[in-house]
Amino acid sequence: MNDLLERYLQAVGRYLPAKRREDTLAELRANLLAQVDDQAEERGRALTDAEVAALLKRHGTPILVAIRYLPQRSLIGPALFPFYWFTLRRGFPLVVLVYAIVQAMGAVMAESAVERMGEALLRFPSVALMFWTVVTLVFVGLEFALAAYPMRSSWGRNWDPMKLPPVSDEGKSPTFATRMADVIVTGLLWFWLLAVPFKPYLLLGPGLQYLRSMPAGLSPEWRIFYLQIVVLTLLQLVLKVAALLHWNRRWQRGLALVIEAVGVGALAVMVQARTYFVPSGDVSFAGRLASINSAVNLGFKVALAISVGKLLWDVARLWKGAGRYGALALQ
Amino acid sequence: MKTFPTLEVFDSLRQELRRGSLILAVLGQLRSEHYGYTLRKALADQGLAIEESTLYPLLRRLETQGLLTSEWREEERRNKRFYRLSDEGREVLKLLVAEWQGIDASLRTILKEE
Repeated sequence: MNDLLERYLQAVGRYLPAKRREDTLAELRANLLAQVDDQAEERGRALTDAEVAALLKRHGTPILVAIRYLPQRSLIGPALFPFYWFTLRRGFPLVVLVYAIVQAMGAVMAESAVERMGEALLRFPSVALMFWTVVTLVFVGLEFALAAYPMRSSWGRNWDPMKLPPVSDEGKSPTFATRMADVIVTGLLWFWLLAVPFKPYLLLGPGLQYLRSMPAGLSPEWRIFYLQIVVLTLLQLVLKVAALLHWNRRWQRGLALVIEAVGVGALAVMVQARTYFVPSGDVSFAGRLASINSAVNLGFKVALAISVGKLLWDVARLWKGAGRYGALALQ
Repeated sequence: MKTFPTLEVFDSLRQELRRGSLILAVLGQLRSEHYGYTLRKALADQGLAIEESTLYPLLRRLETQGLLTSEWREEERRNKRFYRLSDEGREVLKLLVAEWQGIDASLRTILKEE
C-alpha cells in the first residue's frame, strides 16, 4: 500500500518546484494516509492495493494535482487580454492591406507578375506569424511590467462621454430618391459610353483633331478595354436597378465586390497589352511611341496595384461586416 | 429534461457561485484548528463537500496571503500540518461575513418573487 502511495507522491513531486516540494509532499502524504486510515477503520481491515489505487485515482492525476499547488500564471492576464485581442483583430487587416499593396506594386513591376504573386501568397503565413509573435511579445512584456509595477494612475477612469464620436451613418440604407438618382446617372453614363465609338468627340473633345493629326493610332487592345468598361457599367446598372427594387446591404456589397474584381481583371488585361499606340505612316515616330507606350503601361500598373489594394480592403471589410451581421442575427 | 448545454452552463455557474463561498467556509471553519483531512471532513459533514485537489492548494494560497498560519505537529504518531486563522485572517473573515450577509439579504429580497 505504502509503495503505491510513495509512487504517487513521487509522480506528483516531479511537477512541483524544488523549493516547496518536500513540504507539499509531506502534507499530501499526511492527508492521504489519514484518508486511508479512515477507510480502513470503516472496513475493519487494511486497504488492498486496488482500494488504495481507487482512492488515488479519485484524488487526481499527478500532474493536475501538482499544477494546483503552483501559483496561477498566464502570459497575458484577463485584464490585458481584451486589449491584446482587439489589437490582433484591428491590426491584422492592416497587415494584409500593406502587404498586399507592397506585393502588388512589386508584382506589376516584375517580369512575371503571376509568379511574383504566387511567391507573395506563399510568404504570407510567415508574415502573419511574425505579426502575431510581435504583438504577443509586446503584450507579454506589458503583462510582466504591470505585474511588477501595478498601475496606480487613474487610467481607464479619466474619460469623458461627451467626447465620444457622433453616431455613424454607415448602417443606414440610402433613401429611394438617392438610389433612383444613382440609377439615372449610371444609365446616362452607359449610353454615353455606347455613343463614344460613333461620336469620339464625346470622349476626346477638341483633342480629337490633334489625335487625328498624329502619325499614330490606337492599338486593338483598347477595343477590348472599351468592351470591358461597357460590360462593367452595364453590370453596375443592373445592380443598381436591383437595389432600387430590393435593398439588401450584404448581397449588394458582395455583388459590388464581384464587379470590382472584374474591373481589376480589365486593368490586368491592359497591363499585359504593353502596346497602346501604333504608328500609322511616319515610321520615325515609332521611337517616341515606344516611350509613350511604356509610360501608359506604367500608369496601368499603378492603377492595377491601387485597385488590388482597394479590392482586398473591401473584401476584408465585407468579411468583418459578415461576422458582425452574423453575430447580430444570432441575438 | 434538461439538455446537455443547459447542464453545462449550470455546472459552470454553480462552480463560480461556490468558489467564493468555499473560501468563506474554509476561513470560518479554521477559527478552530484543523489539518487538511479533518477540515475537509468537517466541511463535508456540514453539507459543503470540497475536492481534496481544490482544498489543499487553497489552504496554501490562503496561508501565502497571510490569512492562515500553519504548524507541523505529531498526532497519532504521524506528522500533520495544522492550520488556523491568523489575526489578519480573523479581521478579513469579519469583513467577508459582513459582505456575505449584505449579499444574502439583497438576494433574499431580489429572489422573493421566484
